[in-house]
Amino acid sequence: MKKGAGRLTLDALFTAFALTIFVIELRIPSIGIPGVKLGLANIVTVAAAFLIGPWDAGAVLLCRVLLGGVFSGQIMALWYSLAGGTLCWLTMLPLRKLLTGKQIWVMSVIGAVAHNVGQILVALAVTRTAAILYYFPVLMVSGVLAGLFTGAAAQLAVNRLEPVLKKRF
Amino acid sequence: MIPTKTWILLISAFLLLSVAAGLILYLGPAPGTVANIYRDGVPVRSVDLSLVTEPYEFTLTDERGSNVIRVEPGRISVAEADCPDGICVKTGWISDSAAPIVCLPHRLVIRIEQTAAAESGPVPDTVSR
Repeated sequence: MKKGAGRLTLDALFTAFALTIFVIELRIPSIGIPGVKLGLANIVTVAAAFLIGPWDAGAVLLCRVLLGGVFSGQIMALWYSLAGGTLCWLTMLPLRKLLTGKQIWVMSVIGAVAHNVGQILVALAVTRTAAILYYFPVLMVSGVLAGLFTGAAAQLAVNRLEPVLKKRF
Repeated sequence: MIPTKTWILLISAFLLLSVAAGLILYLGPAPGTVANIYRDGVPVRSVDLSLVTEPYEFTLTDERGSNVIRVEPGRISVAEADCPDGICVKTGWISDSAAPIVCLPHRLVIRIEQTAAAESGPVPDTVSR
């Protein structure tokens, strides 16, 4: 990993990517089931875990979630994102070592599912109603599907960016 | 390293399991006819939908905002809400399914259950017939 200014620049660049994608996704209307969305910013989180390492990816994720909360103006949504993001990141630490360069999409799927588990836990804590668990299967299925989609995108992004980053940084 | 096939198998198994759990949960028998409305997990109102003959509305308000609940014979919905996402309104009518109506910003949940969890009937001063 590059030290100093190069590393900071890369992290800032990835945060900018993630935040832009996050803000664009805010514009996509919800389909009416809480928590079901593509999670396009996950593309950057996964790509960052492989390109700049899980610790820097965690920093990017945290910055994106906090700034995303400011940009969306929904403080409650911030807690859901924080819980989801934390669980997602925790799955990355072991996965980063387990996965080969061609299995990057797997991290996206598992990360998306973990993210949704985190959101359900916050929703449970917030409403204190077990009825929320009704959404569990829906969010697991949507997590896998959205994870496959963002995973495919992350896979392509990493495959193309890796040689460039190796040369320049 | 774990072969890609194993990952595909694991993810497919998880997907199938979730779909199966969902089908069992969503296609299960009708739980009852009483709509229980919870706020912060505490039952605040119950409506026996099988006893409703005339449609009516009432409003539930607290410091987070308000939800206009519409009741019709056999079904219930959130007609209006001032929450930021409006998901409770988009959920539409629920009648005999296990699906709840959830308004996360207002911590409001409406569930169809067998027995009334709160005092039955509409609030007198907020009924509009």
